[in-house]
Amino acid sequence: MRDYHGIIFAYHDEPALRELTAHRTAASLPFCGRYRLIDFALSSLRNAGILDVGVIMQRDYQSLLDHIGSGKAWDMSRSTRGLRMLPPFGLPQYHTGDYTGTMEALLAVSSYIGNIDENNVILMLGNLCANLDLDAAIRAHEASGADATAICADHELPSTHSSYVLGEDGLVSRMEMFRVGASEGHPSLEAYIFRKDKLLALMDACERRNLHRFHRDAVPFFLEQGGKMAVYVHPGYARIIRTAEGYVEASRDMLVPENRRQVFPADRPVRTKEHEGVSTYYGENSSSRRSLVADNCIIDGDLRDSTIFSGVKIGKGSTLEDCIIMRGCTIGENVTLKHVIADKACSFSDGTVLIGSEKLPTLVPKNSKI
Amino acid sequence: MKKSCIAMLLAGGQGSRLYALTQDVAKPSVPFGGKYRIIDFPLSNCANSGIDTVGVLTQYKPLQLNSYIGTGQPWDLDVSDGGVYILPPYLGAHEQGSWFTGTANAIYQNIAFIDNYNPDNVLILSGDHIYKMDYADMLREHLESNAALTIAVQQVSLEEATRMGIMSVGEDGAICEFEEKPKHPKSDLASMGIYVFNWKMLRRYLIEDEADPNSSKDFGKNIIPKMLANGEKLWPYRFKGYWRDVGTITSLWDANMDMLSTTLINLYDPSWPIASRSPVLPPHYAGENAEIIHSIVTEGCEIDGHVENSVLSASVKVGAGAKVLYSVLMPGVTVEPGAVVEYAIIGEGTKIGAGAHIGSEPDGSEGWGVATCGPNIEIRPDATVAPGAMIYNGEEV
Repeated sequence: MRDYHGIIFAYHDEPALRELTAHRTAASLPFCGRYRLIDFALSSLRNAGILDVGVIMQRDYQSLLDHIGSGKAWDMSRSTRGLRMLPPFGLPQYHTGDYTGTMEALLAVSSYIGNIDENNVILMLGNLCANLDLDAAIRAHEASGADATAICADHELPSTHSSYVLGEDGLVSRMEMFRVGASEGHPSLEAYIFRKDKLLALMDACERRNLHRFHRDAVPFFLEQGGKMAVYVHPGYARIIRTAEGYVEASRDMLVPENRRQVFPADRPVRTKEHEGVSTYYGENSSSRRSLVADNCIIDGDLRDSTIFSGVKIGKGSTLEDCIIMRGCTIGENVTLKHVIADKACSFSDGTVLIGSEKLPTLVPKNSKI
Repeated sequence: MKKSCIAMLLAGGQGSRLYALTQDVAKPSVPFGGKYRIIDFPLSNCANSGIDTVGVLTQYKPLQLNSYIGTGQPWDLDVSDGGVYILPPYLGAHEQGSWFTGTANAIYQNIAFIDNYNPDNVLILSGDHIYKMDYADMLREHLESNAALTIAVQQVSLEEATRMGIMSVGEDGAICEFEEKPKHPKSDLASMGIYVFNWKMLRRYLIEDEADPNSSKDFGKNIIPKMLANGEKLWPYRFKGYWRDVGTITSLWDANMDMLSTTLINLYDPSWPIASRSPVLPPHYAGENAEIIHSIVTEGCEIDGHVENSVLSASVKVGAGAKVLYSVLMPGVTVEPGAVVEYAIIGEGTKIGAGAHIGSEPDGSEGWGVATCGPNIEIRPDATVAPGAMIYNGEEV
C-alpha cells in the first residue's frame, strides 16, 4: 500500500462558470464528451496506486455523489478505507455559509485527516483538467527531501493566480500571487504533496491565527516559518476550469489531437462512470469534422468543431458548429446551432436557429425546450 | 436457494467456420456490432428477462471469455444469491470427468451446479446468436402449456429449412415431429437452439443418454428425438423478432451489416439494453478529412478517412485518404493512409498498411466472398488481399 492519501477539493461552485454550475459543483462539470472534471483527479490518484481518497464537498453535491457512487470506477470501493465523501462535519457551531478558503475546508474535515493511516497527503482540485503522473511527482518529492511539493505547469496558465520561484538550493524561495497576466516562476496547478504532520501543524497554526486562504495566507506562512517546499513540473496539458470562458477553451483544446494525447495517454487512462450503451450511429446524411462524439448517439446532421456527449440525437439537415451538446439532448431536423453549449437533456425543435458569440457561447440550461 | 429458472449458456464451441477469427478466442467472445461481443446478447437477454443465475459452459480457448465475463457486473449479474459462473470441464475423484463431448454431455457434467439452485426449469442458450428475446415470456408459455420442453422456433423459407432443425406441429399445437436438416422439409418452423426444459425431466434424460454408448450426447440429435419418441409434450415457442446465427464469415458479416438498419434490430431501445464490458475511452474523433456515412463508430476511434456502410469497434484508426466500405473493423484495427478496405472483416489489433487493398465489391463471380484478416497481423503496405480470402498469421488459409 502506498504511503499517500488523496484529498480532492470538490466544494467550489465558481460563480464565473455561470449556469454550468447552477445545479452542480465545478468538479462535476461534464467535459470532453463523457467525463466529469473530477475524473482527472480521481484517475491521476488511481493510476499512481492511491486508492484511499477523501473528497471534500459542501453543497450542490447531488450530481457529484451520483457520478462517483461507491468509487468503483476508480477501484476505490475497498473493503477497508478506499473512497470517502466528506461533507462538512468538523466546523464550529457558529459556522454557516460557504468555505472562505481551502484551509477552512481542510479544518472542516480535520478529524478525518488526523485519522488517516498514510504519512503523506496529496491535495488536488476537483476542477483541474490534467492527467498528472503522480508516480513521477512522488519520486521527485521523495528525492527532494522537502516537507511539501507544489505541482506546477510547464506553460503559462491563465486560470491560476499563484506561481513559485525557486532559490539556489532548488527549493521554493517565494510565491508570487497575481490577478492576471504572466508572472515569474512556475505557475501553480494548486496540487500539493504534503507530509501529513506538516500539513496538520500548518492547519493548526492557521486556525489559531484565523487564516483561511491557502495561497494568500497559509503558503506564505509555511515558507516564512522555514517550511521546505519543492516544485514538480507537470509536462503536458493542464487547465484549472474556473470560468465559462475557460471551460469553452479547454473543450476546444480537446479537439486538437496533440492535447488529447497528453490528457488521455494510453498508460494512464482517465476512468469514469461507465454508461451502458451502444456505439454511435451515423445516418445517410451525416458528416462530422474536427469533432468528438461519444457513444450512444444517433447523428444524421453535420458537425463541425463540436463535442457531443452520450445519448444525443441530431436530426436530418441540422448543422452544428462550435457547440458542446451534453448528455441526452435531442436536436430535431434542420436546426442550426453555432457557438452553443446545451446542458443535459435539452431539446431543440425542428428549424430552430441559435447562434451565440465565439468569445462567449450561448448557454442553454439543463432540460430546456426550445 | 430455490429458483424458478436458471440459464445454461453453451459457450464452448470452437467456431471452426470463423477460423482466423477464432484461433485464439472462443466464438462467443468475437467482437460484434461495434461495442459488443456475441455473448453480450444472451447475457443481456437473461438480465433483462429477470434470470439472475447463468452458468457459462466454456471449453475451447476460454481465457478471454473468462476475463470478459468477470463478475458479470456489466450485465448486472453480480448478485449475491445467483450470478454468472464460468463452468469449465473438470475432473472429479478417481479422475472421473472429461472434456465436454456434446451439448447434452456439457449439461450432464454440470448437474451438480444446477442442483445447487434446485430450479423448476432450465433454459439452454447458445453463445453464437444475435437477437433480443424475453425469456420470461417463453418461460410463461412453457408453464402454461405444461410442456416437458419448449423450443423457440422461427419461421424460415423452405430453402433455409434444409439447413436447420425443423419442427412439425400437430393439431393440438404441440411438436409432433423433429427433423435435422431435412431434404424435403414438411414445415417451415426452424429450431433456434433455445430450450426451456423441466429440470427433473431433463435430468433423467441426461443420465439415461449418458449411459447410451451409441449417443453422441447432443440435444438436437439425441435428447429431443428421445423425448419425442417417448411421447413427452414438446411445445413450440414462436419468436418473430430478429434472430441470426453468426457461425460463418458470411453470416457474421451480414448480421453486422444488419446493425446499420435500425428497423431490423433496434439497439438504441432503452427498455431492452444490450450491455457490454468495454474499456473507458475518450469519445471518437472525426478529423479534418473525415467522411462518415451510414456507419457505426465506437469510442476511442480516430477517423480521418472515408467510412461508409461499416461497423467500427473501439479504438479503430482510419488514416487520411483511406477508404472503409461495407466492412467490419474489430477493436484496435488501424487502416493506414490511402488503404482501401471493402467487403471485409478485420480482426482485433490488425494493421492494414498504407495503400493496401483488402477485398472488393461483389462481381457476381463464383469465388467472390467477404475478405477476412485475422487478429494482430500486419498487412504490408500496397499488398492486396483478394475477395473471399482469409489471412491468418500472414498466410492465406
